[in-house]
Amino acid sequence: MIIMGPVEWLFDFWQFLEFYSDSVINATVRHLTLSFGAILAGIFVAVPLGILIANRAKLARVFLSITSIVQTIPTLAFLALVLPLLGVGVLPALVVLFLYSLLPILRNTYTGIRNIDAAYLEAGLGMGMNSRQLLFMVKLPLALPVIIAGIRLSTVYIISWATLSALIGAGGLGDLILTGIQTYDLNFILAGTIPTAVLALLAGSLINRLELSLTPRGLRTQG
Amino acid sequence: MEKIILLTLEHLGLSTIGVLFGIAVGLPLGIMITRRRKLAGLVVGTTEMLQTIPSLAMLALLMMWLGLGNSTLIIALFLYSLLPIVRNTYTGLVNVDTGLIEAGRGMGMTRLQVLRLVQLPLALPVILAGIRVALITAIGVATIGTLIGAGGLGELIWLGMKNIETSKGVNMLFSGAIPAALLAIACELGLERLEKALTPRGLRVSPESMKN
Amino acid sequence: MVKFSHVTRKYGNTVAVKDLNLKIAGNEFVVLIGPSGCGKTTTLKMVNRLINPTSGTIEVMGKNIQDLNPVTLRREIGYVIQQVGLFPNMTIAENIGVVPHLLGWDKNKSRKRAAALLTMVGMDPETYMDRYPTELSGGQQQRIGVLRALAADPPLILMDEPFGALDPITRETLQDEFKRLQTELHKTIIFVTHDIDEALKLADRIVIMRAGEVVQDATPEELLRHPADDFVAAFLGKDRLSNQELQVAQVMLENPVKAYPEMGMAEGLALMKRKKVDTVLITDHGGRFLGSVSVDEVNAKHRSFNTLGEIVDQDTPAIEKTAAAKDAFNRINEEKLPYLPVIDEKGLLVGIVTRNNMVNALASVVWGDHNGSS
Ligand SMILES: Nc1ncnc2c1ncn2[C@@H]1O[C@H](COP(=O)(O)OP(=O)(O)O)[C@@H](O)[C@H]1O
Ligand SMILES: [Mg+2]
Repeated sequence: MIIMGPVEWLFDFWQFLEFYSDSVINATVRHLTLSFGAILAGIFVAVPLGILIANRAKLARVFLSITSIVQTIPTLAFLALVLPLLGVGVLPALVVLFLYSLLPILRNTYTGIRNIDAAYLEAGLGMGMNSRQLLFMVKLPLALPVIIAGIRLSTVYIISWATLSALIGAGGLGDLILTGIQTYDLNFILAGTIPTAVLALLAGSLINRLELSLTPRGLRTQG
Repeated sequence: MEKIILLTLEHLGLSTIGVLFGIAVGLPLGIMITRRRKLAGLVVGTTEMLQTIPSLAMLALLMMWLGLGNSTLIIALFLYSLLPIVRNTYTGLVNVDTGLIEAGRGMGMTRLQVLRLVQLPLALPVILAGIRVALITAIGVATIGTLIGAGGLGELIWLGMKNIETSKGVNMLFSGAIPAALLAIACELGLERLEKALTPRGLRVSPESMKN
Repeated sequence: MVKFSHVTRKYGNTVAVKDLNLKIAGNEFVVLIGPSGCGKTTTLKMVNRLINPTSGTIEVMGKNIQDLNPVTLRREIGYVIQQVGLFPNMTIAENIGVVPHLLGWDKNKSRKRAAALLTMVGMDPETYMDRYPTELSGGQQQRIGVLRALAADPPLILMDEPFGALDPITRETLQDEFKRLQTELHKTIIFVTHDIDEALKLADRIVIMRAGEVVQDATPEELLRHPADDFVAAFLGKDRLSNQELQVAQVMLENPVKAYPEMGMAEGLALMKRKKVDTVLITDHGGRFLGSVSVDEVNAKHRSFNTLGEIVDQDTPAIEKTAAAKDAFNRINEEKLPYLPVIDEKGLLVGIVTRNNMVNALASVVWGDHNGSS
């Protein structure tokens, strides 16, 4: 690496970005597709599953411990393990990221619903709600902030872990970092790292905002 | 087979060393920021920021700065283990009932004695949980250490993936990925056990108190 | 034993304790009492230097505590708090042995001490020594909290609402037990509470505080007889005050059986029968007490006289309603009276005291008024 002043370096980096803008944009789009595909699938599976196990302690223990075991498997090892089954490319990356996204969402949905004050449930039942009405009118609205917190946690992590899908040829911003490592080029590394960080930050704060607007007004804390 | 065992041990060794450095720095840091609450936000915030850097990026950046090899990996593992250890030490200590701390001081314990006899034993399960998270993270990050020339099971996985079309490649991939996964799961379950065993007996939920 | 001289403690602009002067003698059981926020805890914690005064000096056993090492000082003073504060990571024996451990006793000695203390409060050492706090009931836990303060046999013990979190029945048991312990151990105790019953029960001396200042410092007896002001009186509660200086008005029966002088003999007899009494009290139309007529009189004289007014016994003794109930009791006893009519300052009949309701009133003084405020 050639030692440069910060201004020269910025100029150099800017030139680099201009030159590689197509790759950076493509990689970013791919990265987003992978992350949000996994997260959306994770939400569609984990939220209903969390609701389902909320009343079934044994089942809950089984599912929560399976997903938390899955969570401990090193990402690269996990990607590698699904390769022979699903081949190289986008699909195995999506599957692995999806599996990783499950735990926080599942756990938060479960605890969010479990921790609802029994008085609300009793009030709902007492007013003659059936279990479906109770779910949609009482349980979900009250558990929503906790569920969304789980989704945010998942999203931020998944965006970060999605860099590793480059290792199995699924593309994304990790590709640029990997190229940087292989060519010992800081520009490539930063061109992958900075957008990843920005994406994670943006997604986190967007979801924060969503969480705030979806929190029942009576539950928002003042100040 | 022998090679797999050696690589597994190397993998565990590298991860453990990184986490040990994390403990050596994170534990005192976590204790210190309970005394200087104003610093707590800054310290936890910084370690949180480190944590959000994708592992591939962290390794790449450290590589540019420190070059290839095991020591660069260990530094990355150390940085990643700071957050769970610092945060859990801090919250574990801070969440000890103030009544107990006051009782201890009122009976004539020095600050150090309060820490040693009351706060640390009570925070131990939480601190251990932080160490467990740190170790699991480290085992995960260490698998990609091979990209910056560090050792461990990542090498087998990486080479296997490159030769995925050949059966030799698939074998190699499995011989790296399966031990790596098992190592992580074993550490998770083992440390969970250890946490339970080291939880002061009086803190475990007793059958009586469950009745309430 | 403990001496506060012009002690003030401020928190910013709030004055938690204001120019406190207080002397506590050896073996004295002093209770600090007052409404929440009046500075009781602050006062207590200044004794073991968990809080330092803003100004003034505190002496413990003749030494200015500002000159002492706080850690050493605290090891010589027992300390019990409301939250109990038993260390959940230590067994009962270890909890009791904390201060001995800090003082460097060997393990055997402190275990023996723990066993002796447990025995003292009727808890079997074999059963309890190696249990953990969570395995004990709330009352048992606070017993251990007290024993822990006694472990190294300190001459002075500070207690901050130690029984405040317990249910009323357990609280009373522990109070009784602690009172018994105190008569055996002769410690100097400074005890904070906001429960006046507890204070009256335990204290040799009660210090009532308000807004950081001492309002009254007296024995329970003095306090009840002569509350310094309305605040203290309100704090003590009305019923309790009157119990001590019970007045006739408080024990009398209102609405005694009465009649006007013009009532005929037969009518009078019927009235007594109906009301199941053997005497009627006679008043004029203004309600003024004139005397009494007994059933025997009516029976003996109904042939010679027509109205009750003609045979009324005008020397019937009566008592004023503001007189001490004790006097009414004495007169009923000494003069062998079946009853005493009660009149007000204008001589109007307002009630009657009988032997029977005197006994009831007495019982409530001796054994406590179970319908009262306590
Ligand atoms: N650490 C503190 N900071 C500020 N104010 C305090 C503090 N501790 C006590 N105070 C104030 O001092 C006053 C006396 O408190 P305290 O001694 O705890 O009262 P008590 O024990 O009689 O309820 C209260 O007004 C309280 O708000
Ligand atoms: Mg208090």
